[in-house]
Amino acid sequence: MQLVDRLGGELPRGAVTVELDDIQATVLRYRPEPYYGTHVMLHVEDAQAGREFVQRLTPHIDSAAEWWQAGEAWISVAITYTGLVALGLPEDSLRSFPEAFRVGMAARADKLGDYGLNDPQNWEKPFGIGEIHIGVSVFSDSEQAWRDAMHTAQQQYEGFAGVTVLLTQDFGAQPGDLNPLGYRDSIGQPAIEGSGVDPLPGQGRPIRAGEFILGYPGEAGVPLPMPRPEVLGRNSTFVGLRKYQSRVGTFNRFLREHARSEQERELLAAKLVGRWRSGAPLTLAPTQDDAALGADPRRNNDFTYADDPHGHQVPLGSHMRRMNPRDTTMAQLADVNLHRIIRRSTTFGAPYDPDATSEHDDDVARGIHFIFISAKAMATMEFLQQEWINNGNFMDLGDERDPNIGLQEDGATFTIPEHPVRRRIHGIQTFNVLRGGEYFFMPSLSALRWIGSLRPPSGPR
Amino acid sequence: MTTQAERATAPEVDQTVERKIQQLRELYADAPELGRVALENGLSDLERELAAATRADSAGRVGARQGRVSEFTLILPFADRGAARLRGLLQLLQGNFQLADRVGTVHDMRFVFLDNDTKLLFATAYDGEWDPYIEDFATKIPNALDLLLCNCKGFPGIRSPQVKDWLASHQIAAESWYVGSPDLTVAETRRLERVGHALDEFLDKISD
Repeated sequence: MQLVDRLGGELPRGAVTVELDDIQATVLRYRPEPYYGTHVMLHVEDAQAGREFVQRLTPHIDSAAEWWQAGEAWISVAITYTGLVALGLPEDSLRSFPEAFRVGMAARADKLGDYGLNDPQNWEKPFGIGEIHIGVSVFSDSEQAWRDAMHTAQQQYEGFAGVTVLLTQDFGAQPGDLNPLGYRDSIGQPAIEGSGVDPLPGQGRPIRAGEFILGYPGEAGVPLPMPRPEVLGRNSTFVGLRKYQSRVGTFNRFLREHARSEQERELLAAKLVGRWRSGAPLTLAPTQDDAALGADPRRNNDFTYADDPHGHQVPLGSHMRRMNPRDTTMAQLADVNLHRIIRRSTTFGAPYDPDATSEHDDDVARGIHFIFISAKAMATMEFLQQEWINNGNFMDLGDERDPNIGLQEDGATFTIPEHPVRRRIHGIQTFNVLRGGEYFFMPSLSALRWIGSLRPPSGPR
Repeated sequence: MTTQAERATAPEVDQTVERKIQQLRELYADAPELGRVALENGLSDLERELAAATRADSAGRVGARQGRVSEFTLILPFADRGAARLRGLLQLLQGNFQLADRVGTVHDMRFVFLDNDTKLLFATAYDGEWDPYIEDFATKIPNALDLLLCNCKGFPGIRSPQVKDWLASHQIAAESWYVGSPDLTVAETRRLERVGHALDEFLDKISD
């Protein structure tokens, strides 16, 4: 369904000041409802073949023009640093990329707090070893359109010498579009200035486009540093991908251990995230789930924390409040609008099973590709991991970590503010384990054409 | 975060301590008499310190950390008349730094004027790392920081994308760093103060 239809036709149109027809669709189009799709990871064996592949694929990559009413399936493409090297980008251009992007997500494990269970040494191949060069994704709101778009994408790389497929992962097609732990997700995206749509209820003021798209002023009033040349940087952006395996058995056991009835269990599940499974926020539905509220994009994000400063409704340490503290008074000075990300996460594998409680259930292939877009995706992810996910200091919670994607130490706690005294749950576990990750550059359409038409400097390479 | 216990290398301790003491004796071989005597007389205390697990860690690009608390030391050349302006500003502020209160991670700050008012030594103890927050300072408290740092030579402005590199280039890592309560952040300290007051109030009431 198109965004405009999901909103019942009431779309607050605003001015367009970014070049939507040059920006890739995924940057602005919301994940469809329902959604179907595939991520394909490719390896470039030969620079010239790789560039020809990019050239062949580019006409099939959708732009973000009129993204609010685009309902078709679309194809997107993004390239890792080793991919840009494999495609033969000029040295000067390669050097202009940020350090964290050049070394890759695995090499930044210390900055991201990816150790123990999440250590890149435990990642699945081909993640984190520089083999993934190009990621192609198809998103669709219908099974048929997904298959058609996949066919189009496949035609560009299958049987094409010099480009090999490393990994194909279908996603979506989940009952009710729920994530692997059984929640509606991807609610609460940032509003972007100049994107053509004014803020939806609860989105807050629009954030300067330069935070999400290269070449425009960011929140500090100046454009962020951009790769050279201009045609490569402008209208492009960065994408982070983190593949999580969801430990559904551990999660369900935790809920059962700390709740006496199904009702209590669901409330605890809601306290961890800040939303009920339906997506209804605890701020608007503090005592019981409200499925109609959860499903209504005009209402399910329309709140602030003005009346909940201590977290009696939405715990200060809940996933939703950590990732977007909104108007919460934090213990550390931070500008919330600098740390927002566009999320296009996708769920794969077996659907959530509320009765799965065994250790074996932790290993059933089921999880999420957490996909985030930002003009400074690397810096933002390091900030979030260090400060807001694997830390509690900013919310005056000591060492407590994000209950959803945090890496929990032995004996970790989760605090639920209550009257007259808070409840502190001991022994919270890591519910989502990192199994892979990569940083990608998502070129504008003109940048893709520039890459496709690169030719080696004179002389043999 | 790795805990201190995990970083300890317990099995090799004895051998390592002996080696360290040997190194100290060599280092102090040319020390004044009283230094050499102090080394020999203080060996039993030193052995315990040398045998303990390391408490040192690094903070961001430059600087040392112990537990949650990091050190940040800058030596910045003053701009023309910068020393006079900054001295005037600091005197008028009379130790009130509301911006530091708002930042919420600053334990202390000292401003020391060196070499006949040609350089500023700025030293602070703070929680975590500074460079993830520079952009936040640039949008939240830009005026306060520009007002202070404009007095230093070459300051590009807190909003400049070059400001992190500029700061790092003037930062000097402490050779050593000790924190009395390494696990207490400013936020934690304030919380414990509140809890302590509440507990006293409670105890006063029940003992009346």
